[in-house]
Amino acid sequence: MSKGDQSKGVKMICPSCGVEMNYHADKLDYTAALTEPNKIDPELGGILDEVHTCPKCGRTDVRKTD
Amino acid sequence: MDGARPVFIPVILGTPRQGRMSEHVARFVLGEVSKREGVETELIDIRNISIPVTDAGENVKEAKLSETIMRADALVIVVPEYNHGYPGLLKHVLDTNLKEYIHKAVGICGVSAGGFGGTRVIQNLLPVMRELGLVTIFWDGNFSSVQNIFDTSGNLVDQAYIKRIDKFLKELIWMAKVLRYGREKVPLE
Repeated sequence: MSKGDQSKGVKMICPSCGVEMNYHADKLDYTAALTEPNKIDPELGGILDEVHTCPKCGRTDVRKTD
Repeated sequence: MDGARPVFIPVILGTPRQGRMSEHVARFVLGEVSKREGVETELIDIRNISIPVTDAGENVKEAKLSETIMRADALVIVVPEYNHGYPGLLKHVLDTNLKEYIHKAVGICGVSAGGFGGTRVIQNLLPVMRELGLVTIFWDGNFSSVQNIFDTSGNLVDQAYIKRIDKFLKELIWMAKVLRYGREKVPLE
């Protein structure tokens, strides 16, 4: 998924129950940046993970922004 | 928030040490959580989690633990104070997950043989909680001189802890519900 997807309103779909997930957090991953340096956000210094949670089952999933 | 789904708050026993008094604390807290209507719980004993020591972090994720943390709305961490710090194995276990913790509540019960009830280990653990994405509550459990709180069978002797843990759990459950609502309904804008 590209960094622009979330801003265009492209929701993540829960793989367990098929409903749209709620995007509620951004979390920087510094460890992943060591193995995927091309994905590092130059202003933040790490790879940004979008955190999404399903309102039906509570499952949480992340989507890395490019 | 899906009211039909119980709030799930596992209790983590944060030391593998033989003869650990923290186990009495963890079982006591587990019992108190179990009495709460609409709340489910289970014990996570880090002694029973099989994680290699030849690697660390999410590379050594253990499937059952991750699933349990994923399902959780909050955590109770029962942690003894060893040399003013927390057990290394606890940190090793906690570090195997990350996204599973984000925007969930955590309450910490410190355990000590001395008089400070683990206040130092709780203070040392707070920055770790923050970085993991957990939201800490302003109530702690402080089990000082733990050898005097329980009898040899692990039964609670000092009944004052019932009221203290009641306050602790009330706040933790409130925070767990609020954060579940937030995770499921409040978008990041």
